[in-house]
Amino acid sequence: MSLSTKARTLAFAFGLMSGVPLAAQNTGFQLLATPEYLRPDPFGGIVAPDEIATNQIASENGGAGAFSNKLQLEGARGSYVSFHLVVKMSQPGAYTLSLGFDRGQGKLQADLFREWFHFTESDKQYDPDALIPITLPYHSRLPEPDNRIAAQTAQAFWVDLWIPPDAAPKLYVAHAVLEAGEQRSTVSIDLKVLPAVVPDDDVMLMDHNSYGTSWLADDYPSISGKLGDGFFQSDEFFRLIHAYHRIFYEHRGIFHQLGYGHAGKVGPEFAPALGGTGHTRHITDWNLYDRHYGPLFDGSAFAGTRRGAQPIPFVYLPVNPEWPAAFLNWGEAGYEAEFVNVLAEMERHFRDKGWTRTRFEVFFNHKKRYMGFPWDGDEVRFPADNRYFLEYGRLLKKALPPDTPVKFVFRADTSWDMEQQFKDLGGVVNMWVASRDILSWLPRAPAMLHQRGDVIWFYSGPPVVTQPASTITQFPIEGWMWGVGGFVHWLTVGAGSDPWFHFDGGGTALVYSGDRFGIAGPIPSVRLKIQRNAVQELALLASFTKRKPLDELKKETARLYNHTATADWWNPRPAFAAEPTYNWSGTALDAATKPAMSHLEHIDPAAWARVRQYVMRLAAEEPNGK
Amino acid sequence: MKTFLLIVVSLVPLAAAERDMTRELDEVARAATVMLDGDACQRIVTPRALDYMFKKDPNDAWVDGDNYEVNDQAFIAAKKTLIRLSHLAPFPCDVNLWMPIAGHPDKIRVVIRNVNEMSQFWPWGKLYQDMIPQMKQVLETGRRITVAEKPGWVSVLAPVHDSLNATVALVEVVSQTRLDAHENVK
Repeated sequence: MSLSTKARTLAFAFGLMSGVPLAAQNTGFQLLATPEYLRPDPFGGIVAPDEIATNQIASENGGAGAFSNKLQLEGARGSYVSFHLVVKMSQPGAYTLSLGFDRGQGKLQADLFREWFHFTESDKQYDPDALIPITLPYHSRLPEPDNRIAAQTAQAFWVDLWIPPDAAPKLYVAHAVLEAGEQRSTVSIDLKVLPAVVPDDDVMLMDHNSYGTSWLADDYPSISGKLGDGFFQSDEFFRLIHAYHRIFYEHRGIFHQLGYGHAGKVGPEFAPALGGTGHTRHITDWNLYDRHYGPLFDGSAFAGTRRGAQPIPFVYLPVNPEWPAAFLNWGEAGYEAEFVNVLAEMERHFRDKGWTRTRFEVFFNHKKRYMGFPWDGDEVRFPADNRYFLEYGRLLKKALPPDTPVKFVFRADTSWDMEQQFKDLGGVVNMWVASRDILSWLPRAPAMLHQRGDVIWFYSGPPVVTQPASTITQFPIEGWMWGVGGFVHWLTVGAGSDPWFHFDGGGTALVYSGDRFGIAGPIPSVRLKIQRNAVQELALLASFTKRKPLDELKKETARLYNHTATADWWNPRPAFAAEPTYNWSGTALDAATKPAMSHLEHIDPAAWARVRQYVMRLAAEEPNGK
Repeated sequence: MKTFLLIVVSLVPLAAAERDMTRELDEVARAATVMLDGDACQRIVTPRALDYMFKKDPNDAWVDGDNYEVNDQAFIAAKKTLIRLSHLAPFPCDVNLWMPIAGHPDKIRVVIRNVNEMSQFWPWGKLYQDMIPQMKQVLETGRRITVAEKPGWVSVLAPVHDSLNATVALVEVVSQTRLDAHENVK
């Protein structure tokens, strides 16, 4: 394929059917569009990490750049189609932005968000990420007053076009319009809705982790300040928590909040209150727990969402070495009595409430380096620690009726000792969240674990905004290539002390507090949107296995995504893996994972666009949209 | 300068609630000195972990923590004693075990923390830290010291002796006038 063919393919994949020549892009007043993977900057260009694709398109596409005034898009039903709109004004002033469908929009819905340009400390550049919901018509001015960029000449907007599963498959035509005084500029959008429907269930469950709730008081000063001491027991507090669950759910993901510390301190809203000791230990009060979790376990917290009211599929329990049994009694009959009594009570409560669709995770997060307990619950490095898992497995079995409809799972987050834990803890631990590094040399593990009924996910963290926008798509695709069922971003709500003007890059955040904008809940990010779109398209791709072999789908996807073969996604098992894990070094571990990781180090901005194009082609071939 | 600071700290007037709390914590601390076995405390963290604690590797940022290990039976025995001691107080308190590091007189480390996750001195996540002047004083003099530097916090530091009557560790008996139910839940 020649370079120019590549570039045209790229433009086509991005839906840029009519690029705007670079010279024309510099005119004083314009509304333009860019693909979701090419993030605009506040000065009329594309942010540096995404720029390589722009250059490819510009140099090989008649001088046209990444900006276009005509988009031709396609999407399956039950999914989103997204792009950026960019208001460009060389002179400061007011403007109005609107978007409308020409001949009726049917059941389609358009959501628009103003993109916040974060000044990122690491590269001293502005990167768009936080998305502030807006209503149309939107009236504002450039420079955008609250973003405080003196020389700003461009404002970006993220557009989500939601295609419900029951939308009519046909061509929809819309126009986005920018107006200021007598001036007017438009972008035309042709959206071809395919009959195919994205399945409700994902092949990769994207999990977004967090710790505790103290950050909520910090992130929502307008609420916590008003409520003072009452904040953590208020309806507003629980509404905030539910809002976090809802935003991730709406982005085809889930949310986890760990409710205890490394020495066993449990946040009151994460556990029922306990009383008594030894034989008399029991649950005294479910109030806060049920206010927190009831709407999540019965699904009512998700009423009114586009995906419908569903119970959360997974949740941490507060179980740790200090809860519900007191560590003072560890190894004695009293510990067993306390643990078994309370877990049995919890099982009864959940059963009585009908909370049988959520998997309740017994999970130990503590590490001995935090000096709370003498063994690692998280990422066991010293194999002797595994005997504690066996003991808790015994206690759990004793606490729960064998025929309970309540789904308790024993989860372990595993790294160093993964290979041995898979063997030694089989039948005890049945939910694994595996280190990406070490799982990369165990290609048979996912199938083996699935076969025995275990859940297998892997973990890493969000890419920062200074990486290409498409980087975040590597996790769902990697998981699918590997045959695992989920991925955990280890922290997704920590945007730093000043994400707005002194941003740390977002390596621990995929949502932001909406407090600054008068929103009592989180607002999404560009990265979260891109991840959601990849996940939905992956679900659609995986559904084609009924007419194409899975291996063939993976092979073509790998080729399109990063020019690899499916084998390139795995590493050879290093020689040191035969040594005791406590002798491994982090340096050797990094070296061992290099081969596969090297293919994912620099994801080009068009990587997922090519995969999406393939998915849409297959979708278009689907008979009857099924 | 350090001496001056210590004097200032000890002269800071305590509110009535803090005075009561301090008296209770001091009682616990006094008992801790009697009850804790300094020889056993020295067997908690393995020599290997202590060796790794000061290793730096530019290619392996976690080499110290990844190699942190303890003898679990020694840890558990000491922790249970610390927990029992904390129950002497009529309010939530933690009794944390701190130890000096051989060859590093300017450093101190927390060895065992407890369920309320309270400490006036531990920067969350640190394997070791710069010596706290008041801790140094306890280790050198064998006398208890009350520290109320952070508003609302009271810690009583008390020595732990080994069988040779050397001060080999200390406890921080700590509480707050106003408990934060959510701090360190992470």
